[in-house]
Amino acid sequence: MTGVLTPPRPWLASYGASIPQELPALRYSNLADLVHRAAATHGRRRAFTCVAPNGMNGTLSFEQVGQMSDAFAAFLHHDCGLRPGDRVAVQLPNGLPYPVVAFGVFKAGCVLVNTNPLYTPHEMIHQFNDSGAKVLVIVDMFADKLAEVVPKTSIQTVVLAGVPEFFPKLPEIIIRGVQKVWSRTLPAVPKLSVPVLRLKTALAKGRARGADTRALWQGLGRDDLAMLQYTGGTTGVAKGAMLSHGNILTNLSQMQAVSGGQMSAEDCVLSALPLYHIFAFTANLMAFFEAGARNILIPSPRPVQNLQRAIENYPITWITGVNTLFNGLMNEEWFAAYPPKKLRAAIAGGTALHAAVATRWRMITGTPLAEGYGLTETSPIVSFNPLDDRAKPGSIGMPVPGTDVLLVDEEGKPVPFGQPGELIVRGPQVMQGYWQRPDDTAKTLQNGWLYTGDVAVMEEDGFLRIVDRKKDMVLVSGFNVYPNEVEDALAKMEAVLEAAVVAIPDPKTGEAVRAYVVKNPDFAGDLTKEDIIRHCKGLLTDYKLPKSIVMRDELPKSPIGKILRKDLKAEVRAEFGQ
Amino acid sequence: MLTELETTLLAVMMMVIMLGMGCSMTYRDFLMAFRKPKGILVGLVSQYVVMPFLGYLLAILLGLPPAMAAGLILIGCMPGGTTSNIFTYFSKGVLALSIMMTTVSTLVAVVTVPLLLQFYGGLAGLSGDYVIPPENVAQVLVVLLVPTVLGMFLRKLNANIGATIEMIGSLLGVAVILFLIGSWVPRNYQMLLDTGPAVFAAVIGIGVLGMLLGYWLARALGQDSNRSRTISLETGIQNGPLAVLIITLTFTGTMQQEILFIPILYSLFIVIVSSLVTMWYRRTSTAESMARDQAKVRSAA
Repeated sequence: MTGVLTPPRPWLASYGASIPQELPALRYSNLADLVHRAAATHGRRRAFTCVAPNGMNGTLSFEQVGQMSDAFAAFLHHDCGLRPGDRVAVQLPNGLPYPVVAFGVFKAGCVLVNTNPLYTPHEMIHQFNDSGAKVLVIVDMFADKLAEVVPKTSIQTVVLAGVPEFFPKLPEIIIRGVQKVWSRTLPAVPKLSVPVLRLKTALAKGRARGADTRALWQGLGRDDLAMLQYTGGTTGVAKGAMLSHGNILTNLSQMQAVSGGQMSAEDCVLSALPLYHIFAFTANLMAFFEAGARNILIPSPRPVQNLQRAIENYPITWITGVNTLFNGLMNEEWFAAYPPKKLRAAIAGGTALHAAVATRWRMITGTPLAEGYGLTETSPIVSFNPLDDRAKPGSIGMPVPGTDVLLVDEEGKPVPFGQPGELIVRGPQVMQGYWQRPDDTAKTLQNGWLYTGDVAVMEEDGFLRIVDRKKDMVLVSGFNVYPNEVEDALAKMEAVLEAAVVAIPDPKTGEAVRAYVVKNPDFAGDLTKEDIIRHCKGLLTDYKLPKSIVMRDELPKSPIGKILRKDLKAEVRAEFGQ
Repeated sequence: MLTELETTLLAVMMMVIMLGMGCSMTYRDFLMAFRKPKGILVGLVSQYVVMPFLGYLLAILLGLPPAMAAGLILIGCMPGGTTSNIFTYFSKGVLALSIMMTTVSTLVAVVTVPLLLQFYGGLAGLSGDYVIPPENVAQVLVVLLVPTVLGMFLRKLNANIGATIEMIGSLLGVAVILFLIGSWVPRNYQMLLDTGPAVFAAVIGIGVLGMLLGYWLARALGQDSNRSRTISLETGIQNGPLAVLIITLTFTGTMQQEILFIPILYSLFIVIVSSLVTMWYRRTSTAESMARDQAKVRSAA
């Protein structure tokens, strides 16, 4: 049994002098403590700056973020009646409201439920009901979805926040005016049976209650739940990974350890990835706030031109991103010709980093682009490349301190160096389980080991390389798309008999969704690809939509009638010459 | 004619528009534009070779009287108008190219416009009273450079102020034309009614032909269709209000009224022409990108 033995850590020899062999003791009792102390230490320094595509911007200092998150915590506790452990759904793009709200949730002792702002009502209802969220903080651009969603959930209070929230007055008015009149992205707020208020009003109410929230969070321990981070998993239904305060705090400390002390209060990190995703949440929001550094928040990184003014106007020292973002940046003349001068390093995650992209990045910017590996279930960092000459292209690096990684075969036995095996992880950053899903938890967490479903190879120096994904998920620009979910959506069409979804390579997004669809012979009318897309749009977020649709008369099946995705994948491989 | 107050107001508005134009760009945008200068060079050729010649040619062919010929040639010699950026935005063109062309043509105007005016004015046989003194033109342009450069500094100093002024400037670009039309047409409607088809042909023709020739020239010199549409709009849309300002600062009384006729009518009709052309370009541009997407889907499916 793997659970009882302490496996060797061959990578420790590769740590060298810059990375500690053992993880230092954690400095904070919980995330609220971290936020409170960082705000007190760094005071008037600038913590967050949100930059619109035209360069308009707003900034909050550490002190302001500390005070405002206190006010939001007081509002949640006193005005919404929330108690420690209650869930708060947060559906915000990157912007100044995000840290205020997320930190406020921690300070109220509540549990943060990050939600993609682009979710369809269907997806929102599932996530809010599954988590049992009582308060929803949502960006005002999507307030029109509330009418359909809120009555079908346990949401008791809705708080609205805008993208230009906390900007100076004039830019705020202008951006709101443009949203309202020009792009028409500010829908009217529907009448709901629950109270709906603006974030500023909520903060004012919280402030009136008295600002000191210490009593609310001082009792929180590291094993207490901090967030439910939803992820599709193999079964296709989104489930909440239960991440504790200790999970996140540990991962932050692990990240600092591998960065070799290169993160400081003088840093300025570009946060183009969404903070509701675990990668940017930990690596950008928490890690750099703790360091006293400045976060440049980009509400919408697409088109990539939206980043131009942010990169020109601020002394960016770090960039976190996915392969697509780095590639996109380098294809912009303004970036390639004038890369950020103060840049120290870039961190890639989310999806495989192409070796060509990493090489070109080094050439253009003169700084390393280091790849790491992680999962929602591991808060997220499992392994990382050192930010120096030891980094290996094509490798996901070596496990971070305090983490055990084993590669095992089908029977759960460790495989030798150089042999592929399923990557399993054990460590203080591994989640507590899936929220209210003991069966799924039991399948994924066995004897303290998390089974990632990714197949990897380890070299003798402890560096890892991902060779394949055991799971069938499709990775579109770093977002997991679970074939079952898309198949379920397709199957809801009367005209569809059955469907199977696999990944196809895509030059832009890494992978894209391909659907093999069999038409229902009993359906009288025609079934076009446009019909299918239109149907799916009502049920799925854009990145989950099939990019390629192939009509078939039948699908390959096993003797017991299970659709064989692996046969379709083999077809795709043959088709794309892989 | 415009009252002194109106002339001052016009001058102030032009200053703010130029300030806004300066705010829309950075020093680095310039450096970048000159890394691949071809688009801008093509734009400059269509702006300062095609348009002035077109103005001269139409004045001669249509047999315009000296006052109107002077107005038309002046319009032909003007740098690009800032409203071209708005139309380019709507037509899904290359906004950065449009902004850069407007700025560069405005900067070089200090030298090119006086020279061109002198050359074509002489060629058209404009003499005595109808000659627009080159030094006047240069003076106005130099004065307008100040807010442009100031705008660039403001943008660097504070991005919020920069972006706000940029927006005010582009809104004012439309407002100033409405202002000109509103203050001029009611006083001169009789003159409008008496105007023959030749004048209308001149004011509409210079814009339409400029856009056509600009497009063809850009295509011929190897620009892609989207950039060519941008250059086309940039070529046809001249800085009408600037012409008006130069005239009001140079002439007085009835003469000012006569020479103003063409620039003001041009400003009125170019808005209409540009709107129609923009709708057409937008449709073409959308169709082209759809076709590209389709091709991608086919190749992936």
